[in-house]
Amino acid sequence: MCALCTILFVVLNLTFLSSFQQWATFSRSWFLIDAKLQPPGRIASMCAVRLQGKHKPIYHALSDCGDHVVVMNTRHIAFSGNKWEQKVYSSHTGYPGGFKQVTAAQLHHKDPKAIVKLAVYGMLPRNLLRPNMMQRLHLFAEDELPEDVLANLTEELPQPRDVPRTLSQYTQEERDAFPRLWTPPADYKMK
Amino acid sequence: MVFLTLSCLVRSRGPDRHWKVQELLKHARHFRGRKNRCYSLAVRAVRRAFVYATKGRILKKRNMRTLWISRIAAATREHNMKYPALIHNLGKTSVQVNRRILSELAITEPRTFLSLAKLAQARREEGFRAALGDGTEPAGVFSRVVVTH
Repeated sequence: MCALCTILFVVLNLTFLSSFQQWATFSRSWFLIDAKLQPPGRIASMCAVRLQGKHKPIYHALSDCGDHVVVMNTRHIAFSGNKWEQKVYSSHTGYPGGFKQVTAAQLHHKDPKAIVKLAVYGMLPRNLLRPNMMQRLHLFAEDELPEDVLANLTEELPQPRDVPRTLSQYTQEERDAFPRLWTPPADYKMK
Repeated sequence: MVFLTLSCLVRSRGPDRHWKVQELLKHARHFRGRKNRCYSLAVRAVRRAFVYATKGRILKKRNMRTLWISRIAAATREHNMKYPALIHNLGKTSVQVNRRILSELAITEPRTFLSLAKLAQARREEGFRAALGDGTEPAGVFSRVVVTH
């Protein structure tokens, strides 16, 4: 972003249009995050920072400097630990006896975007600007994005978690070169 | 004032009530409702306003400092560093630039801010080398402390 700023300053000094320079500094960019196999909390904190505009040195709470964030592959997020079974999302319909509790797995099955949406909603400041910031968050369950969203994207953010390789992605030489503690005898039966 | 008859002297209560009232109402002219016109309502509203202004002067200093800190933190994260590391290492190199100027540099002088961030990063790495190494290597260039009393 700072490299972009310095390039903008250099390029726009050449054009000598100070109003254009000012508008370009305040323009709204569209960020893309791929949430495949990523922890939803970390994705949400990155989103919340950019929706508020806290990644910009010109930040002010009242100056509406947040950017758009597009999150794709929300269906393939990966909770660590046993959170799919243990994390509970509660809500109340307002009617007596209407207290509902669903596990993360059930909620994800019903709506694959809900977990990331609730996580981001909880990380934004509790003021009147929160609904506006949520409107600038765009969630997609798979990696197919509509054309107008694709046309607006400016930057892809790096994923917060390094995804380890699966066993099928290791070559046979690497598998053989991996140190073994003990080789079983020929007639050993694995459970 | 000179009173020409005794009755005038007795009846006169205070010659400058109009100006006293105007002195107070001038602080209430931008208020909403009858508070900007009627003296009894304006007295109460103006007193509250002055109390809020007094409290606000204390809060303004705090709010401005948190704003500067969040702006500096945003700018340092653009340069792959964190705010505590920047502040601590700028302090260790005795760069006594306050947060107000740092935030203004981050907005209007990006290259100066980049150079300060790189200075802090270099001092940080020297600190790591001094802590993790064996102590045989000499301290780095930025670790030299200049004592000025």
